Amino acid sequence: MTNKTFSYLFAMLMLAATQLAPASDTDFQAGMKAIAANDFSNGLRYLELAVTGDPENIRYASEYRQASIRGKEFDRSLKFFEKAIADHPNSANLHLNFGFAYVDKIPVAGSITQVILANNALTEFSKAIELQPSWLAFYTRGESFLFWPKIFNRASLGVADLVKAIEIQKKGPRRSYHVKTFIALGDGYWKTDDLTKARAVWQEGLKEFPNNEQLKSRLALQGDQLKSTIEDQFDPSKRVDTDLRELWSN
Amino acid sequence: MVKLRAWLCVLAICVSTESWAADGPQRSIRFEEIGMKAGVRVTHHTRKFHGKNADVLHMFTDGGAAVAVGDYDNDGFEDIFVTDSDAGKPNHLFHNNGDLTFTDVAEKAGVAGGNDPSSIVSDALWFDYDNDGKLDLLIARFGTPILYHNEGNGKFKDVTATSGLNKFGNTIAVIAFDYDNDGYLDVMFANYFKPVNLLELKDPHVLPNDLDNATNGGGVTLWHNTGKGTFEEVTDKAGFGKVTGWALDLGHGDFNNDGLQDVYIACDYGTDHIFLNNGNGTFREVTEKATGWDTKKGMNVDVADYDNDGWLDIYVTNITDEYMKECNMLWHNNGDGSFTDVSKETGTCETGWGWAAKFADFDNDGWLDLFVVNGLRSAGPDSYVPLILPVITTPGLDITDVNNWPDIGNRTWSGYQKKKLFRNLGNGTFKDVAADAGVANDLDGRGIGIADFDNDGRLDIVQTNADQPLLLYHNIIEKPGNWIELKLIGTKSNRDAIGARVKVEAGGLTLIREVDGGNGYAGQSTRRLHFGLGNVTRIEKIQIRWPSGATEIVVVPLNRVSYVEEGRGAVR
Repeated sequence: MTNKTFSYLFAMLMLAATQLAPASDTDFQAGMKAIAANDFSNGLRYLELAVTGDPENIRYASEYRQASIRGKEFDRSLKFFEKAIADHPNSANLHLNFGFAYVDKIPVAGSITQVILANNALTEFSKAIELQPSWLAFYTRGESFLFWPKIFNRASLGVADLVKAIEIQKKGPRRSYHVKTFIALGDGYWKTDDLTKARAVWQEGLKEFPNNEQLKSRLALQGDQLKSTIEDQFDPSKRVDTDLRELWSN
Repeated sequence: MVKLRAWLCVLAICVSTESWAADGPQRSIRFEEIGMKAGVRVTHHTRKFHGKNADVLHMFTDGGAAVAVGDYDNDGFEDIFVTDSDAGKPNHLFHNNGDLTFTDVAEKAGVAGGNDPSSIVSDALWFDYDNDGKLDLLIARFGTPILYHNEGNGKFKDVTATSGLNKFGNTIAVIAFDYDNDGYLDVMFANYFKPVNLLELKDPHVLPNDLDNATNGGGVTLWHNTGKGTFEEVTDKAGFGKVTGWALDLGHGDFNNDGLQDVYIACDYGTDHIFLNNGNGTFREVTEKATGWDTKKGMNVDVADYDNDGWLDIYVTNITDEYMKECNMLWHNNGDGSFTDVSKETGTCETGWGWAAKFADFDNDGWLDLFVVNGLRSAGPDSYVPLILPVITTPGLDITDVNNWPDIGNRTWSGYQKKKLFRNLGNGTFKDVAADAGVANDLDGRGIGIADFDNDGRLDIVQTNADQPLLLYHNIIEKPGNWIELKLIGTKSNRDAIGARVKVEAGGLTLIREVDGGNGYAGQSTRRLHFGLGNVTRIEKIQIRWPSGATEIVVVPLNRVSYVEEGRGAVR
């Protein structure tokens, strides 16, 4: 085989490979493989390439953030999304994940920095809603508002977002993660001192998701026990699960 | 025979089968507030500023309500010095009349001043800097300090000018200890703001440059006592020059049981620091290994062995409120150079906007309890907190600029908080008994001074409050446990015996206490070491390790205050 023939065949093979698996997916797979081997340096680099190549891919961005959390690379993640958004200002997915990246850093931040991060996250979630008013965006921002202490009067804003999220989810097929909206909206009503509405929403959720333990627990608890359960949910020192895997698993 | 046994018991050497109170029914801690009756119900005033930034500067400087306990006239009863902070307002020296009443003799003694137009009194400390057996008085200020020499005739003489302690600083706390064990007490200041005169503000960029990791505070300064009535600054030489945080309180103690006094520095707006003494006049920072760096708002340091394991632990208050969940830190000394925060496990995590906190055995059961005061500003129904949010979250806003902070007006900020009295249950946990004990007031607490003001074997509490009246809590617990209280007098060591450690072995427990030189925010407690003994009447051993390095075994009677002189045992 001549060198020329080899080069031709190699080029054809590469072309075929490109057509079979887009570059972003190749980067994504390489990134995930490296992360699985605890090679965060290469893993994050590949995942960044994947997100850059396909900014609307929610899975790439989500896995990148989860890898950043594991590697404790919170600032790298924030810088990456900041730059990615500068390049793709109209990507709702990037804004959403940029917001999540702020949330991801909260547990390791000082008490005042936590406030700044939470506020920055809200800004990004709002931009995501402006660009694409999806269930995910409304649910995410609504839930985020509920983390704010009562003194800032943001729970009612959370309720408004979560009501919209419920409206959106009712229009489409039922997904397992839709139960989260019922839990959060009920919590929002509880935080705005409307226990009757809170119980009604949890009850409604339980009709749709009869095996959900969180709904059952909330409906079974009263007074301080209920307060403790809900406040525990919104403890800023605990890591919020921002893994979006459930979205593509269902 | 009965008489002989009684006599032996008085000497604390009788054999008995009694157990510690912790093993039996628990006594209820009870206090009665007697400030008015005792004649000490004075109201503190924070400094009022003038001009454009008056309100904000006032808000950032609202400490200064301090108490220092000491027997300045050596009459056997602990006296109380209380600071004020507003311009022209006098400090108070309450002479203990011996019957739970006090007489303010500050003017007569010459120690009422300090709040001049360019200085704000912030803390006070009794210490015998010249080892003449009479407590001298150091007034810390936002300004230059004032050192008063005790003339021994009820009067004090201002010796600041000749003392060398003439450096301007925005000092918020001061402690005295003999860091080089040369027999003379040295002085360390915690400085909040960097050294600019806030009362004549020229540059408005004086506030923290980061609210979790600030580096533009006043740090600390260490002054070596030359033994000739003067002090020289050794901050850099000793290794403290790199501390640039907003130091708010200091605590010293022998953290690694090597006979040398170590230091914990609590900083607001950022990490605390822990320094170990090298024994050659220098210290080494061990924060990273010992505790790790933190981003909290350190407000208080108290040092004590709360779990009776022979290692000094450290309690630091921070800020925990609806909008800020920092949690306090109870640093359990692991004995290997590391500390573990056990505040959550012990139940001492949440005390609101923390200020002073002090360990003391209020029920004489051999286990150190913990009193914590809190509350920043109790005012009108509206909260200041929502107004701060834009300051914190606006990108690029210069938060060091006083002009960028809103006025607080009549708003409340973490106010009306209930005080906490944590009873040590002797099993590694504490229980808040403040309400039952009668100390759950909601004033804006600042400092705590603990002492047995009537020599009845029950520790009493002075609580100072910002812009509010002082409280004096008389301990009225019924049937308290047995006790001993030792006033140590150094001869080769510094006369106040600050840094001396006493180890008491009794009833199967080993208790250690160290004489401290003003640990705890805005409050100096008695230098007398108090040991509650529960029902135990037989003390196996009392060992003193003096700062000089000498050790001594002493025997003292139960249920009375004893004076022990270095090398001579109990002398009174």
